[in-house]
Amino acid sequence: MTAHPADRATARIMVCPALLFVAVFALYPAMDSLVLSLHRLYVSLPGLESSFIGFDNYAELFRDPAARQTFIVTLGFVVLSTALELLLGTGIALVIHERFTGRGGVRAAVLIPWAIPAVVASQMWRFLANDQYGALNLMFFGDRTDAYVPWLADPWTAFGVLVAADVWKTSSFAGLLILAGLQSIPEETCDAARIDGAGAWQRFRHITLPLLKPALLAALLFRTIDAFRMFDLVFVMTQGGPGDATQVIQFYGYKTLFVEGRVGYGTAVSVTVFAATLLLSLAYLRAVGSTLLSRAST
Amino acid sequence: MVCPELRGGRAFSRPCPSSVRHRLRLRHSTVALLLPVVVCCVLAPSAGQARDTDTAIDTAPRTLRFVTWKADRPGVWDDAIRQFERAYPHLRVQRDLAPHSSTAYHDLLTQKLKNRDASVDLFLMDVIWPAEFASAGWALPLDEYFLPREREKFLPATMAAGRYRRRMYGVPSRIDGGMLYYRKDLLDKYGFAPPDTWDELARQARTILTGERAAHPLLRGYSGQFKQYEGLVCDMLEFVGSHNGSLLTADGARSNLAAPASTRAVRFVREQIIRELATPSALTYQEPESLAVFAQGHAVFHRNWPYAWGVANNPRHSRIAGAVGVAPLPHGARGKSVSALGGWLYGISAYSRRPDDAWTFIAFMTGPEMQKHFAIHASLAPSRIALYADPEVLRANPQYTDWLPVFRTARARPRTPVYPIVSHILQRYFSRVLAFPGTDIVEEAREADRRINKVLALAPDANF
Repeated sequence: MTAHPADRATARIMVCPALLFVAVFALYPAMDSLVLSLHRLYVSLPGLESSFIGFDNYAELFRDPAARQTFIVTLGFVVLSTALELLLGTGIALVIHERFTGRGGVRAAVLIPWAIPAVVASQMWRFLANDQYGALNLMFFGDRTDAYVPWLADPWTAFGVLVAADVWKTSSFAGLLILAGLQSIPEETCDAARIDGAGAWQRFRHITLPLLKPALLAALLFRTIDAFRMFDLVFVMTQGGPGDATQVIQFYGYKTLFVEGRVGYGTAVSVTVFAATLLLSLAYLRAVGSTLLSRAST
Repeated sequence: MVCPELRGGRAFSRPCPSSVRHRLRLRHSTVALLLPVVVCCVLAPSAGQARDTDTAIDTAPRTLRFVTWKADRPGVWDDAIRQFERAYPHLRVQRDLAPHSSTAYHDLLTQKLKNRDASVDLFLMDVIWPAEFASAGWALPLDEYFLPREREKFLPATMAAGRYRRRMYGVPSRIDGGMLYYRKDLLDKYGFAPPDTWDELARQARTILTGERAAHPLLRGYSGQFKQYEGLVCDMLEFVGSHNGSLLTADGARSNLAAPASTRAVRFVREQIIRELATPSALTYQEPESLAVFAQGHAVFHRNWPYAWGVANNPRHSRIAGAVGVAPLPHGARGKSVSALGGWLYGISAYSRRPDDAWTFIAFMTGPEMQKHFAIHASLAPSRIALYADPEVLRANPQYTDWLPVFRTARARPRTPVYPIVSHILQRYFSRVLAFPGTDIVEEAREADRRINKVLALAPDANF
C-alpha cells in the first residue's frame, strides 16, 4: 500500500498531538529521571551543592549490601511467584476451557481475586497471617491457640506469605491469558491425535503445550514485569521487614526517594527498575516473536 | 503551565479535506479520548488558584488549611476546633486528614510541601521532623511569634525538639514518652514491686509465666513495638540508652552503636525479650497490635506511650481495666531509665499566605485551656509545665505526677535534617539482628555505624 505524498504529510501532522502527549508525559519524565540519577541531591539539604557525580549513584546501588539484598529478594520473588502463577494459571485455564454446567460461574469466580484492589487484598492477607486471629492459623492449628505462628515475624515465612498472596491474586490473570491461547488451538488437531490413539496426557504434552507456547510466553512476560515491580503487598503487609527479608527493589526505591528524600540515589533505583523491565520485555518479545515467526514459516 | 498539547489538539480539530477526515475518523476518536485528560491536566491547577483568591476577600471568614492526621479521639478535636472558631469568628479551619501512621503522614505532607502547595497553612510535625522541615525550607521560623518568655513555660525537651540552628520551628501540642505498663493484679499476687532493672523485669516475668502457665497458656512476659518501622527505633534506643549506651557519641558527631554498652542492650532484647518474653510475634507489632495483646490480658509488661493508659483502663476496649499500673521504664545494671521523646509540634508552612492567622490558631490550641481540654478528654500529656499542678488535670490523670520526671528527662532522637535516612539504617540494623538470631551483633552494629557516619557527614554542623 503506497500513500499519496499529501496524505502522508497530513498523517504526520495528525500524529503530532499524540507524539507530543507521549513526549511530555512519558519521554520527558523518563529523561529527567535519567539526568537526576546522575546527581547528588537531597530534599532536606537544599544547601548541599547538587553536583553532577556521574554514575556514582549506580555504583553505590550495586556496592551497597542493603541494596544488593533487595535484588536477591526481588529475584527470588519474581522467579518463585511467576513459576507458580504459570503453573496454576495453566491449570485454571485447562479447567475453565472444558465444557461443563456452571462454567460461566466458575470463570467469573476464578477472576474475583484478580478484580480485588491490590491494597484491599494485601490488607486481607495481613489479617489472614495475623498471629492471634489469622485464618491461616485457624486453618492449620484449629483450637490449639498455643501453636499459632506469627507468619510475618519470621523472615522465611513472611516471604512465603508474600509469594502466596501474589500467586492467589494473579494466577487467574495468567489463566485468562493462557485460556485465550487454548481457544486458538483448533479442535481438529486434538481430534486427529485422539484418532491416532494419543491419551489425554500425550495430547496435552505433544499438541496443546507446544501450541500454547506463545500464550505462555505472553503470560510469562506480563507476570515477570508485574512481579518485578511489586510494591503494594510489601507496603501494606511488612514494610520490608523483618530484617529487610521482604524488601523488594520497588519498595526500596520508594523508601529512598519519598521517605528519605535521597532524590539522586532513589531515582537511580527507579531507573534501574525501568531498565531491567525494559530489557526483560525486549528479551521476551524477541522470544515470542521468533516462535510466532517459526510457526508462520512452517 | 505550558499547554502545547492543548494547542496541538485545537490545531487538529480544524476542518480538513473530507477524504482524509473520513479515513482518519478512528484516530480522531483517540484524540477525542485524550483531550479531556489534557484539558483536566492544564486546568486543574488554575482552578485551585481561583478558589484561593475567592476566600481572600476580607469580609468573608478566612479559611486556614490545616494538614493533620486522623485522630484517636476525633470528637475531642472537633470540639477544640469549634471552640476556636467561636473565639475567632473571622477564621475557619479546614482540616486535610492524612493517615494516622507517622510515616504515611510524612509522605503526604512532604509531597505537598515539595510542590510548594500554598493551600497548606499549618501542619503537625512529629518531634523528629523539625530539623528536616527547617533545612528544606518548608517550615516558617516562629521566633517573632513564639517569644522566649512564652517558651519558658514549656517542657525543655519539647522546646529542644522544635529548635534547629538556634531558631524555633515548632510549638509542642503535647509530649509523649515511653512508659512501662504492668499488670498490677499479677505483680501483687506474686508480691513484686514494679521492676527497676531489665533483669528484674525478666525475672518477675518468668516467675509469673511459670505460675500462670496452667491457667493462662497464652500469657507473655512482655509486649512492645518491634516491627521494622520508626517505633522500633524508639523502643530500641530506650533499651540502648538505659544500658548506658547511646546512638551518637557525646559530641553528636559520630554513630556509637558498636560500643559494648549498646550491643549488650541489643543482645538482651534479642535473647530475652524477643526469643523469650515477648515471643517473635512482637516483630510484627506496632503500637495498636502490642496494646491489644496487653489489653486482652495476654501480657504482664507492656511498653507504650501515654495514650495507652486511657485505652488499657477503658472497660470497653480492655479486659484488664483497673488492673493496670504504670512506671518509668527499667534500666540496665549500669544506667538510668530512658524514655524516648515523642509528640507532635505545630508548624506553619513557609508557603502559607496567612501565617499570622495560622499563628492565632496555634497560640489558641497550645494555650493552657486547650491543652487542659486535650489532657482531660483525650489523655494527651500537656507540654506546658504548669498544667502538671492543675487540680482538674490531675483529677482526670493522677498518674501525671509520676510522669513529669519521665518527661523532663525524655531523650530526643538525633536532630538532623537527614534523620529519615538515619532512621532507615537503624530500622534495618535493629530488625536484622532481632529477626535473624544468627547475625553477629557487633559486626552489624559496625556496619550501621559506618553508614550513619557517612550520612551525618552530609550535614555536619546540624546537630545543635
